[in-house]
Amino acid sequence: MNGTRHHVIIGTGVAGNQAARTLRQREPASRISLLTLSALPFYNRYDLPRVFHGVHDWREFLVDPPTYYDEQRIELRRCTRVVNVEAKRKTIMLGHNEELPYDTLLVASGGRAYLPEELSEYRPLLDGFASFEDAMAIRRKLPDGGTLAILGGDMIGLDLARTLIDTGHRVVLIAGKHTFWPHQETPEQRQELLQVLARMGIEILDADGEGGIESIQAGARGFATRRVVFGNGRECTADVVLPSFGLVPSVEFMLGSGIGIERGLLVSPTLRTTDDSILAAGDVCQIWSGVEKRYRFYYGWKNVRAMGDLAARNLTGDDEAFVPAQDETLHIQDGVTIHSPFWEYA
Amino acid sequence: MRTDVQISICGSAGEGTIAAGDILRNALAGAGYRIISFDAYPAEIRGFGKCVARLRATTEQVYSLKEKSDVLVCLNDEHGIPHVADVRDFGAVIYEAKSITRLAEGGHVSAHVRPGQVPYPLPMRELSERATGAIRSRNLVVLGYLAGLYALAKDPFLRIIDTKFKGKGAVAEANRKAFEAGFAAGTETFKLDMVAFGPAATGLQSVMLNGNAAVVEGCLDAGIDNFFGYPITPATTIMERLAIEMPKRGKRLLQTEDEISAIAATIGAGYTGARAATATSGPGLALMSEMLGLGIMAEVPSVVFVSQRGGPSTGIPTKTEQSDLNMALYGSPGDAPRIVIAPTNVEGCYRCAGKAFEMAERYQTPVIVLLDLYLSNRYETVVMPARPPFEPNCDKPVAKQDLGAGYKRFALTPDGVSPRTLPGTAGGMHVVTGLEHNEFGRVNEQPDNHEAMSRKRHEKLLAALHHPDFTHHKRFGDEGRVALGLLAWGSTFGECLAAMFRARSDGIRCAAMKVVMLQPFPVAAVAEFIDQCEVVLVPELNFQGQFARLVQAETGRTVNRLDRVPGAPMAVADIIAEAQRLIAATRRKAA
Repeated sequence: MNGTRHHVIIGTGVAGNQAARTLRQREPASRISLLTLSALPFYNRYDLPRVFHGVHDWREFLVDPPTYYDEQRIELRRCTRVVNVEAKRKTIMLGHNEELPYDTLLVASGGRAYLPEELSEYRPLLDGFASFEDAMAIRRKLPDGGTLAILGGDMIGLDLARTLIDTGHRVVLIAGKHTFWPHQETPEQRQELLQVLARMGIEILDADGEGGIESIQAGARGFATRRVVFGNGRECTADVVLPSFGLVPSVEFMLGSGIGIERGLLVSPTLRTTDDSILAAGDVCQIWSGVEKRYRFYYGWKNVRAMGDLAARNLTGDDEAFVPAQDETLHIQDGVTIHSPFWEYA
Repeated sequence: MRTDVQISICGSAGEGTIAAGDILRNALAGAGYRIISFDAYPAEIRGFGKCVARLRATTEQVYSLKEKSDVLVCLNDEHGIPHVADVRDFGAVIYEAKSITRLAEGGHVSAHVRPGQVPYPLPMRELSERATGAIRSRNLVVLGYLAGLYALAKDPFLRIIDTKFKGKGAVAEANRKAFEAGFAAGTETFKLDMVAFGPAATGLQSVMLNGNAAVVEGCLDAGIDNFFGYPITPATTIMERLAIEMPKRGKRLLQTEDEISAIAATIGAGYTGARAATATSGPGLALMSEMLGLGIMAEVPSVVFVSQRGGPSTGIPTKTEQSDLNMALYGSPGDAPRIVIAPTNVEGCYRCAGKAFEMAERYQTPVIVLLDLYLSNRYETVVMPARPPFEPNCDKPVAKQDLGAGYKRFALTPDGVSPRTLPGTAGGMHVVTGLEHNEFGRVNEQPDNHEAMSRKRHEKLLAALHHPDFTHHKRFGDEGRVALGLLAWGSTFGECLAAMFRARSDGIRCAAMKVVMLQPFPVAAVAEFIDQCEVVLVPELNFQGQFARLVQAETGRTVNRLDRVPGAPMAVADIIAEAQRLIAATRRKAA
């Protein structure tokens, strides 16, 4: 094994950081570069609802202290956008116009919040919940006892919802086909789960039952900050409107690289792409399932971390297949609350 | 909330780096913060070297710049990258978001931001171009961004911009627009760093001056009549500012053809009773050294401001150093005693400038005021006295009965200072010469006469050790016996004071002494200080330990040297490290 290889990892989420950790353990002499769009080192996004419990210092969310990267000789490059990967030249082009050569590349760029096309024109009126900055922005906009309207209601949004109920806020879920994403439930299970959410204190509106979302409007002075107007003329007012429709993989920079892409990067069970030197891990990749005979996504902290670890091992000599490590069942606990394994983290 | 924020702006000559620093420090001073600021720039005019504008804004009195900045602004990658490591953890690094040229690996600032620092990519070019149609207002974009990010009031900035570009309507308007564009970007940026400006002090009646400007104020308040000079970095701005101010007061300034003419004219004016001065740097002082001897021999009051820079020869003309001490003390043919004083901060520049005229007059000799580039260019907020604290006339008049044929211009008196007449005084006619002379001024080469006159010229200066209302030396920190004594002169004393505070906070009994009067030397006070210290360290910015050697020669005590020639101010960390090493070694020896 060549100990001076330059391993570049795109993405500093769970998969990317686990890969860096494993790579360093297995190849002490190699160069490791971690690239991220974020201004912050790797922090625990699963923990962001703590912002509403008064934790406002981003350092409280860090998984590793900044000194970790120096100690492990991991070059962490933040606010760095990858615009293109030239697989033939083994070179990455960065948004600030710098070329970065690599020997191996692990794409672990994760996913970004999905927003249905029909809502895209309302983007300026919507808030995200993908980063510490997003969480703090919502915290500032949401007064004590204020209202959050969640459109869709994936498990990320519902995690925030249960926190805000605890902190005395009002939460309105405008439910639709993305509610409980990425869990897959039957219509009967869905009805039961919605009833549990209602018992938890979340107000439920069924978007289809209200004639669909007609528009989202900003309130005038003295009125509610946001109004979600339905097809039947009814409306829901809120201080913050959060789209919560699941994730789409962040793969734009891989277009033109020659790597197979469907919705995510297509990888073999060993997480290899069609280019020997490029692997992928985490929410960005679709892994071939021999059982299901299709490429599929695997979500959740445990799955993603396992992918990061596996990718690093396969980059350094192993050739093992991914084995899912995550329970994917949404549970009802005591009939009064729900629990998703996707809310769990180590 | 206490404020202590240091901001560095780094760019190439011609990018507006120093101008941005100037606007920033004036705006922050206008908002009520105390400022210490120092700019480093290259000798080339444009497009080559690196410029760094540094300022520290505080609500408490501080004495030096910090080693680590809280915020770094990089106007370009090449010059910014080496400074990224100088930013503290959880401080901010602001840089151009996108290079216009293709960069090789590591060529962008973002590649060098440490994990503990907070990166802020800012599209400076784009914002400037959108706001003004040109990219050259990037420095104003950055200032607006800083103001927006740190919630600083816009008004002080806009006032300074309007003042700075007064009469240049389109430029002022473009710069305003660029500032506003940066401000909007700053307010929209999520602040992640741990840098904050608290409320500024209210009621602080201060002005912001750099050392050279303070010298000018001192000269004017002391009633300077004539100034003669030849431009040289870093002293030029003394002449430039006096050239504006002196004519308003009916006083005269002349730019001479060289330094020799400048000192000759100064001595000539001094001979007529005018308060006269010149200003130069090391190379100029070298040219003046022969003529200085005439001033000493003829006992003519004159003041020479010397702002030191890196040498020898042309050396590093835009970098600071303290390597002209020996030349200031001794640099003339023969035994040529003169008074040499060195301020340690900007306020000291004002006081030393004014007092230099008093001393020159009272002791009838040239007085050298030793500055250095760091002090000349360093800005500080200074509380100015309500009225000038300088004596308008310190001449020793001649009694009427002593005038006439028997008038002795160089009379041997108990204090060595002879009553002086000015040209045109009836009965005061006398000869003035560079040759050795007797009490009447007539040439006399007799051994006894030379002995007596040499003694006169030396001993009359000793009274300067007690010159009234002047801080010749001062001790700070712990009283009595201490583990560590820091002994310093000139601008380096600020760093010594900062080191002293840090040592004391680390539990080390420590004192620091500044020596302003370098010749005649305050032997008793310095010897007493040394005797009370287990370890004495003398940090200075020259290679030869010129001050340390002076201390050892004058006091007979041994001191430890810390000689550095980085072309930049002494690093507090270097002082601390060397002090700790010496203390540990001394204690090991004692054990």
